Amino acid sequence: MLKTPVYPRHCEKTSKIVNFSGWALPLEYESILKEARCARTNCVLFDISHMGRFIIEGEGRENFLQKLTTNDISKLKTFSLQYNLFTTPEGTIIDDFIVYNLGDKFLCVVNASNREKDFRWLKSNSQRVVIKDETFNTAFFSLQGPLAWKVMQKVVGDSLSELRYMHFLTKKVDGIDLIISRSGYTGEDGFEIYLPKERAIPFWDLIMEKGKEFGLTLAGLGSRDILRIEAGYPLYGNDISESTNPFQASLDWVVKLKSKDFVGKESLVKILQEGIKRKRVGFIMQERGFPRKGYPIFDSSQEMIGEVTSGAYSPNLDVFIGMGYIKTEFACSGTPIKVKVRDKFYRGEVKDLPFIKYKYYR
Amino acid sequence: MADRFFTKTHEWVRLEDDSAFIGITDYAQKELGDIVFVELPSVGEKLTQFSRFGTIESTKAASELYSPLSGEVTEVNNDLVNHPEWVNQDPYGKGWMVKIKVDNRDEIANLLDEATYKNLIEKEA
Repeated sequence: MLKTPVYPRHCEKTSKIVNFSGWALPLEYESILKEARCARTNCVLFDISHMGRFIIEGEGRENFLQKLTTNDISKLKTFSLQYNLFTTPEGTIIDDFIVYNLGDKFLCVVNASNREKDFRWLKSNSQRVVIKDETFNTAFFSLQGPLAWKVMQKVVGDSLSELRYMHFLTKKVDGIDLIISRSGYTGEDGFEIYLPKERAIPFWDLIMEKGKEFGLTLAGLGSRDILRIEAGYPLYGNDISESTNPFQASLDWVVKLKSKDFVGKESLVKILQEGIKRKRVGFIMQERGFPRKGYPIFDSSQEMIGEVTSGAYSPNLDVFIGMGYIKTEFACSGTPIKVKVRDKFYRGEVKDLPFIKYKYYR
Repeated sequence: MADRFFTKTHEWVRLEDDSAFIGITDYAQKELGDIVFVELPSVGEKLTQFSRFGTIESTKAASELYSPLSGEVTEVNNDLVNHPEWVNQDPYGKGWMVKIKVDNRDEIANLLDEATYKNLIEKEA
């Protein structure tokens, strides 16, 4: 299995290490639920060094990315981040990712499970660009929660009050070159920090030391999944894939059909004309049944209308929540549904995403 | 704990006269992680040794529960519906699951005693 630069630290703190897309990562340190609560009351630190990180350089870089993505790269200013999608010529989702405009280059942060596929896709379409996979040369941490900014203030000696959601800055701390973005996958205020792998362990230790007084806790993949479901974010491989398109996935806002041309556009225009038959929605359970990936969803007269793609017990709402695809006519907040858990039907209700209130620093 | 016996599937049973309390072991709750849901049988249901009597779900996965002994369910710990975390906090105490009237004490011979069970989990770990 692949190991991140701070892997030795995980082994010191937990025995619950799992294989996630080929990477050895902590599932939990002490308790998944405790970690998920702490992210919304204090702050937590995730090692997300498994995520793919590509640098795209060269004078053709903007046109190149514009051609392969659904969102409008020309709107992405220097020091800003953008959520974006790669789509196939058929209009289905190759990956979802975040792109940073570093001024003279782009940094794309992609799903670990898609790193190699994405890299091949980019390479095979490259024109007047140089694409480098920096995943193994760097580390990537995510500090999330309402007190994350206080920890960062102690770590970098600056309140970062000028740094707004979906923006980044570069900074030298203890001689370490950092890219600090105000972003995350939890719905909370927080930061993601990109740094050279050689300095990963001392910087990790520094964050943990400075975070002590704010109740900073280490968090693993288990709580990361709960938090992103509470925040309504899709996970590639669960909620989106090469058999879903952005309209089905309720990611319409990421697709700019009017302002640009891109791979998949023709198909997406056609898909839109023909109508969207199923949609990704959120739902809450009104009974205590755990909706897991793959469980069928029914309407109130027990007619099958869809399938669960992600589910969790939400420790912050004390209710079971989930996401899934259901027939468009049922994809409306308040619609009663039933989820079949083993041999029993449990009542639920379609709910607008996100389940929690976003706490972004804008 | 001479009156407590174990299964290879990590349930415990504690005998009290003709009755027995059943739950899952400390090792099992640690392996499962945070318990969020417990589905138990109803009073009056008949359990058979080593057959399924319920389901337990943690944040990670759903697992079946297997009865250490045969017998009729006389009590169910319904508090676990609202407090599944008790299984994590106190697996041998307030995290108990069902009480049964034991059919046949001879079945105990098919169970593990504490020392044997300890050996088993050391091997698994």
